[in-house]
Amino acid sequence: MFGYILKKIRYLSLKNKYMLQNTQPGENNSEPISPVLEINLEAIKSILHESSDVTIHEFNFGHERKNRGALIFINSITDKEEIHKNILQPLMYDVLLLKNAVGMDFNDIDTIRKNLISMTDNKKVAMLNDLLDSLLAGAAILLINGSKEALAIKSVKIKSRSIEEPGTEAVVRGPREGFVENVNENIALIRRKIKDTDLCVEKYVIGEKSKTDVCIVYLKSVANPKVIEEIRIRLKRIKTEAILESGYIEQFIEDCPYSVFPTVSNSEKPDKVAAKILEGRVAILVDGTPFVLVVPMVFIESFQSVEDYYARPFFASVIRIIRFLSYIISTLGPAIYVALTVFHQELIPTQLLISIAEGREKVPFPAILEAFLMLFAFDLLREAGVRLPKPVGQTVGIVGALVLGEASVQAGLISPIMVIVVSATAIASFAVPAQTDSGTVLRYIYLVLAGIAGGFGVIMGLLATLLHLASLRSFGTPYLWPIVPLDTAGLKDVFIRMPLWTLSKRPKAITWDSYDSYNQSPDLMPSPYNKDNNDPK
Amino acid sequence: MGKEMKFSVMSLTLFFFLSIALSGCLGAREINDLEIVIGMGVDKEKDSEDILLTAQVVKVDAAGGGSGNSSDGGGSKAFWNVSSKGSSIFDAVREMTHKTGNRLFISHNQAVIFGNDLAAEGLQDYIDFFLRAHEMRPTALILIAEKKASDLMDAKSETEKYPAMNIAKFVENYGYTSHFYKVNMKDFASCLMSGTTAPLVPLLSIVEEKEGKDIYVSGMVAIKNGKMVGKLNHDEVRGVLWVLDKVESGVITVSSPNEQGKAVLEIIKAKSKVKPELKDGKIVMNIKIKEESSLSEQTTTENLANDKALKKLQENSAEVIRQEIMAAFDKSRDLKADFFRFGEMLHKKYHKEWKALKDKWDEIYPTIELKIEIDTKIIKTDLLNKPVSPSD
Repeated sequence: MFGYILKKIRYLSLKNKYMLQNTQPGENNSEPISPVLEINLEAIKSILHESSDVTIHEFNFGHERKNRGALIFINSITDKEEIHKNILQPLMYDVLLLKNAVGMDFNDIDTIRKNLISMTDNKKVAMLNDLLDSLLAGAAILLINGSKEALAIKSVKIKSRSIEEPGTEAVVRGPREGFVENVNENIALIRRKIKDTDLCVEKYVIGEKSKTDVCIVYLKSVANPKVIEEIRIRLKRIKTEAILESGYIEQFIEDCPYSVFPTVSNSEKPDKVAAKILEGRVAILVDGTPFVLVVPMVFIESFQSVEDYYARPFFASVIRIIRFLSYIISTLGPAIYVALTVFHQELIPTQLLISIAEGREKVPFPAILEAFLMLFAFDLLREAGVRLPKPVGQTVGIVGALVLGEASVQAGLISPIMVIVVSATAIASFAVPAQTDSGTVLRYIYLVLAGIAGGFGVIMGLLATLLHLASLRSFGTPYLWPIVPLDTAGLKDVFIRMPLWTLSKRPKAITWDSYDSYNQSPDLMPSPYNKDNNDPK
Repeated sequence: MGKEMKFSVMSLTLFFFLSIALSGCLGAREINDLEIVIGMGVDKEKDSEDILLTAQVVKVDAAGGGSGNSSDGGGSKAFWNVSSKGSSIFDAVREMTHKTGNRLFISHNQAVIFGNDLAAEGLQDYIDFFLRAHEMRPTALILIAEKKASDLMDAKSETEKYPAMNIAKFVENYGYTSHFYKVNMKDFASCLMSGTTAPLVPLLSIVEEKEGKDIYVSGMVAIKNGKMVGKLNHDEVRGVLWVLDKVESGVITVSSPNEQGKAVLEIIKAKSKVKPELKDGKIVMNIKIKEESSLSEQTTTENLANDKALKKLQENSAEVIRQEIMAAFDKSRDLKADFFRFGEMLHKKYHKEWKALKDKWDEIYPTIELKIEIDTKIIKTDLLNKPVSPSD
């Protein structure tokens, strides 16, 4: 059955590939820049369809105003003041102050670049499409009549959101800063956490039309070179029109696109991403979104939170166990309730069975339908609450709680125990944010299985899930590591979080070093240095 | 592609259709459609071969009934005692659907009570269903009514909504007195199958009070070959339990050292070991009992918290225990019913000899000798270490 679906999808993707090859875009503008200024300007004007926010400023400069040049920039994304001050003014006026300017050849782009332009981020371009790329990325283009090269001077002015606490990953203890939409600021945030020469940033531009900056960031000495190479290959494979969010990249590079489980993790928090880079993972930053991708990902990561490491180990361990339990409740809660009440009533303690029966006395629907109704209502409420503006969203919450919680029970449509089961499920589903999506899908699957075959169905579903999880890989790392394959060193940080001074080895399945890779000295257990000196008197 | 696709589409539809259609009869049924049975009584019908089955079914709408009005005031009961006749238990169970509409759900059956007439005539024929039915739990209690089982089913306790639950509750808590013990279907069946052991089953009696009737366990009955052969009172039952190592707690009343009052001891710990001995065709059972108790009450002004008095009390309590055991053993000799499980013990130790003994067990049993060794100890006197009396 799945074979058929997979075959169909594969067929479609092959078809797409074939079609893509026939209409390979993007090759048409690669002509060299002409030495004649007018020809270039005409070409640029026609390519940009005379867009109104493109400024083309022709001017004469040099000592005797004999040299002709043109400055092209898109005024919506560039800093006009900077361009006036640091490009136009030196060319037209400051040049007069140069004592030895008389002999200089101002038709040569190198001379201008070295002597007159007082901005650092500039480069020479010789091809028309390179020129256009720079122009669209926010550069001012200086064209000189008689030169075969143009100068692209970067002067971007994009209003960036200030650094705020991320909405998705709020913490009680820990840094409040979160990534922003600007990729350079995001790299800066990581650089501020890891001030090491080993920290590498590689930049790619992906998207035929969006030309989005995608940066991969890693620690050269720690990260596995094979993983980095694999990421490069997968990124270069992407031929698409636009990358609007890191989710696009995630879906193009993930290992198992048919899985409900994510194999690429994401985060909005620089400290979390920095911690993962230090473990040997690779971060993928995408311009235009605060969500940074990190690979490889393992399943256990979803249950770890940055705060686990900031808090002392005892509380962190309790919370982690609660997270595991809550994931089980959120995926299996309604399924187990339906399986028990419809198929295995003998497993329910007698008193509980009687009170469940009391609650269901007036309910006209079968339990499975009741569960579906409630889950549907819950997901509806959640979706509505997220999309609506905040003041209205609260109303939705109140109405939902009243209608679904109170009224539907009193009207005899829903049994009170089902309300408890679904609300427990709902609350539990938020405790593990990284797996909320997979949990929601699995919840419905298990519920259907429970409705068809009871506990037998649920066990079959669980078994299939387990097999699937065990076969998943994320950039070569087994998804269930360190449980499968068993790694005792890794187990220190799974169900309980051992004290920080015991966690001195890097995760082996991430770095793949043949030797043990240490991130701290293994004898860090704190104790008073000199016990005799410890007397406060 | 076309043919292949058609096939896979067909198999896909078939898969979904079959998986739902075939598994639809895996046993799904809504809770609303269940008649939850919490207790069953089996009686003999007068002047016929039929039996009368009474099932206590939870009345779901009255069970909650708006938690405010506790159902004893309004008179609406939280349960419904349905009865039906049939030639066999299963026959009667299915006959009952004529009245209930839904099939009985007996997984939560707490207790099966057999009527006196039926027990006297033989339980053997009626026990099969309760062990065979897959819904029935082997942990359900088995009990015998002093008169009719159906009379017990509506004697409601003041604190418990359901009579059957109440019965199950006080049978489970036999340990406070050790005057009887709980026997469930599985234990009962394994005793029946051993051949020589005569199982004991708690006996339920009714006492009429001003407001309705109360049920209590008045002792146990011995079943031999599936038939009720005799009744044991509380002390006799405890005599059996001393030997079977089933005494949990309880009260021993002994006379105080100066014979002027009583001292009441609470059993804290009791352990027994039985070693059978077969010598020249003579069977001796060596019973060793270790008991620890505390002084819980005294009705004299004498100070009992001294070595001399305590020693005397220990001797007295050992004597009480011995008397209880002997009383029980005398009874079992009279009834020729081996509820001490001596037969099983001999079987374990004397494999070869057992074959010969087994056939003549009824004759051999009364000749068994008991050697009882009792070690009692009073380990504490609770909160007082001298009586509350004008001291001299």
